[in-house]
Amino acid sequence: MSTLLKLEQVETFIGQYHILQGISFEVPKGEVTVLLGRNGAGKTTTLRTIMGLNTASKGSVLFKEEEIKSLPTYSIANKGIGYVPEDQGIFAGLTVEENIKVAVKKENDETQQRLDWILDLFPDLKKFWKKPGGLLSGGQKQMLSIARAYVNDNELLLIDEPSKGLAPIVVEKVMESIQQMKDKTTIILVEQNFMMASTIGDSFYIIDDGRTVSNGSMNLLREDEEMRRKYLGIA
Amino acid sequence: MMTRMFSNRMNIIYLLVAGFLALLPFVYDSRSLLILLSQVFIFAVLAMSYDILLGYTGIVSFGHAMFFGIGAYTVGVFMKRFEPETSYFLLAVLVTILLTAVVSYIVGLLTLRLKSHFYAMLTMAFAGLFLVLAEKWRSVTYGNDGFTFRVPEFLKDRTDFYLICLVSMVIVFILLKRFTNSPLGRVLQAIRENEQRTESLGYSVLQYKVIASVVSGVIAGIAGILYAVSLRFVNTSVFTMDITLDALLMTIIGGVGTLVGAIIGAGIIEFSHHWLTELAKVHWIFERWIIFFGIIYILAVMFFPMGIVGSLQKLKFRKKKKASVPVGSETVSQGDS
Amino acid sequence: MDVLINLSLNGLATGMLIFLLAAGLTLIFGLMDVLNFAHGGLFAWGAYSGIWIYTTTGSFLVGILGAILTGMILGIITERWIIKPVYGNHVQQILITLGLMLVLSEMLKVVWGPNQISAVTPDYLSGSWEFGGIIIIKYRVFIIAVGFAVFLAVQYLLKKTKIGLVVRAGVMNKEMVQSLGVNIQRVFMFVFMIGAGMAALGGMLLGPYSGVIYADMGMEFAILAFIVVVIGGMGSFTGSVMAAILVGLSGSFMAYYVPDLALAANMLLMAVVLIFRPQGLFGAKG
Repeated sequence: MSTLLKLEQVETFIGQYHILQGISFEVPKGEVTVLLGRNGAGKTTTLRTIMGLNTASKGSVLFKEEEIKSLPTYSIANKGIGYVPEDQGIFAGLTVEENIKVAVKKENDETQQRLDWILDLFPDLKKFWKKPGGLLSGGQKQMLSIARAYVNDNELLLIDEPSKGLAPIVVEKVMESIQQMKDKTTIILVEQNFMMASTIGDSFYIIDDGRTVSNGSMNLLREDEEMRRKYLGIA
Repeated sequence: MMTRMFSNRMNIIYLLVAGFLALLPFVYDSRSLLILLSQVFIFAVLAMSYDILLGYTGIVSFGHAMFFGIGAYTVGVFMKRFEPETSYFLLAVLVTILLTAVVSYIVGLLTLRLKSHFYAMLTMAFAGLFLVLAEKWRSVTYGNDGFTFRVPEFLKDRTDFYLICLVSMVIVFILLKRFTNSPLGRVLQAIRENEQRTESLGYSVLQYKVIASVVSGVIAGIAGILYAVSLRFVNTSVFTMDITLDALLMTIIGGVGTLVGAIIGAGIIEFSHHWLTELAKVHWIFERWIIFFGIIYILAVMFFPMGIVGSLQKLKFRKKKKASVPVGSETVSQGDS
Repeated sequence: MDVLINLSLNGLATGMLIFLLAAGLTLIFGLMDVLNFAHGGLFAWGAYSGIWIYTTTGSFLVGILGAILTGMILGIITERWIIKPVYGNHVQQILITLGLMLVLSEMLKVVWGPNQISAVTPDYLSGSWEFGGIIIIKYRVFIIAVGFAVFLAVQYLLKKTKIGLVVRAGVMNKEMVQSLGVNIQRVFMFVFMIGAGMAALGGMLLGPYSGVIYADMGMEFAILAFIVVVIGGMGSFTGSVMAAILVGLSGSFMAYYVPDLALAANMLLMAVVLIFRPQGLFGAKG
């Protein structure tokens, strides 16, 4: 199985703060890789660094064996990486339709098919097609954000805590959709909800204090209670 | 220790320069030079007041001329309407302080809680309002043309006035130096560096900014008084953007956040202004001398945002740092991602 | 009645000129978080270059096109070489754009001399119509029509085109737009160019309206445009047109009835807006 994305000893500063101090991991094509860790460990910054929203000062970020560390965000996105940020990044004043339209790069049959597929997955979006994004519920915003990242032919999706602040029933819905997207694309998932992460994830990396400290297959983590307690604070 | 020695040495330099300037009129009697230097001192006061805003608090005002103008007109009107006596002059100073304090307080309160753009824009608009007021309130201001007035006896002699300007500048310098080194001044600088953090430390940022705005406004008013007295004439030009621009150029070119930079900047601009005006007789392009400053100013903002003094200090600081701090001892602080 | 109609037309025309200046300011601010203090300079450059082309070629239309082109070119230069190097630093931005304003105004005096230049209305737009005793000056109607047309065109651009969609999205969330693969720098430049072109057009139209052009007109109108931007709401395009008309009308009526208070009234309006609704009457941003 080929590696789609590879981070090697990535370090990132935000202002004067040394947030990432050595992040290394590999994302195999077609799998779901889960980043776990406490609040403030550096998971979000890791995703932002991949997207070029924060710039890595050291290390390398290889996407399909190409260094993308110092590229501007838009060209990283255009290489085929979709981003679902923690706050969903919905354009509140634009309608659902417009939110998706901003993202669409090529208006062709394939895009249309992808759009149809994702809208079947999230019928709510179809229902509120002409409503401003700001009026959607938290779950619907999450769906819109995921749909927006998916609608282009992206090879890799970065999804930041999709379960955050959502009702359990909505979490299930979102989880189901990610489950289904698994067959079509590669995903990096940041997740606090261990239940969700362990259902979807193939492998995991634990980030602590800005470093990747542990990794393995998801099954391993399910069995290793001690590691869960140490790094995640859960049993 | 280092900084103390350093500042002691600086104090000696300041003292020497001030002493030299104080003795100058007695050894070298040139009327035009004295007048020019008086202008430098007056504008140095204005530029220092501006530095309190821009350099120490990180606020950009485009309406500084309004405080300058209030001072100029107040003293003018008092001297014209009443008798040109010391008592009325002192009253004019008092009224200036009062007026500038009130105006800067109101303007500050209105706009400083908003983004920096607003303060810049609104001070500009308010200054415009004062300009219109000076033009339209003809019964008091005599409109565009302005008016001449007589000054009290003690301000009449050029040498005396020169010394008064020098002393004013030195006093303002010392006062503002004290002010910026006081706990209050430290908070202002913290605001400049990181407003949110200062706020989260429990300081009421708005309150401190308003204080800076008032201090700055009052001192600009004093500069306006001196300016009007030096000309014995006042017209609407004291309210124009040009005055603000002068203060801005002096502060930026001299070096923001240093106070002494404002003085140096005032010297450079006033002297160049003088020489370039002379050169205008040689070639008309020098009549548009401000264009050179505009370009230098843009380049300064882009490449030397710290100005002459700031850049020198940085150079010095770097040398010192290299000598004393071992390489590779970077501090690592952890923040929230 | 005659007076009322004429004052309204006058106010509308002035309002449209302010709108042409303020719209660019507000769009640029909304998208890039840059308040361009040199915008008035672009306005004045539009006036000088346009009137110069107009008197040289004899064609008013060519003059207008020349003004817009000059504005756009200056806009691109401003964005690329003056503002871009200091993106993200508000204080530096404010300082540098003011410096540019200074240079632009002085350059006008270097190129065209320090004295004011007279500008005449082309024949086909001069004179007036008379309806039942009411005299309506053609050129005022012309300005209103052009202003309105520009408003509709920009509105169409913003609401119906992809780039307009991107601009609107960019105003709301710049980072996300980039994460979706849009080169925001190019969008910035485009918006700056449009804004500068509009400002230059406004300056050019002002020429025959006031009869003369002078280097400081940029600063004078810029102050009005700032007031409009604050009242309308920073970043709100619709707000800018409404507020511009409001300021234009109030200026025109005040100038007739209480001439001394014309500017003061607008300032007062702005102060009230700032106290009670700092995000502006139509704006969402603070």
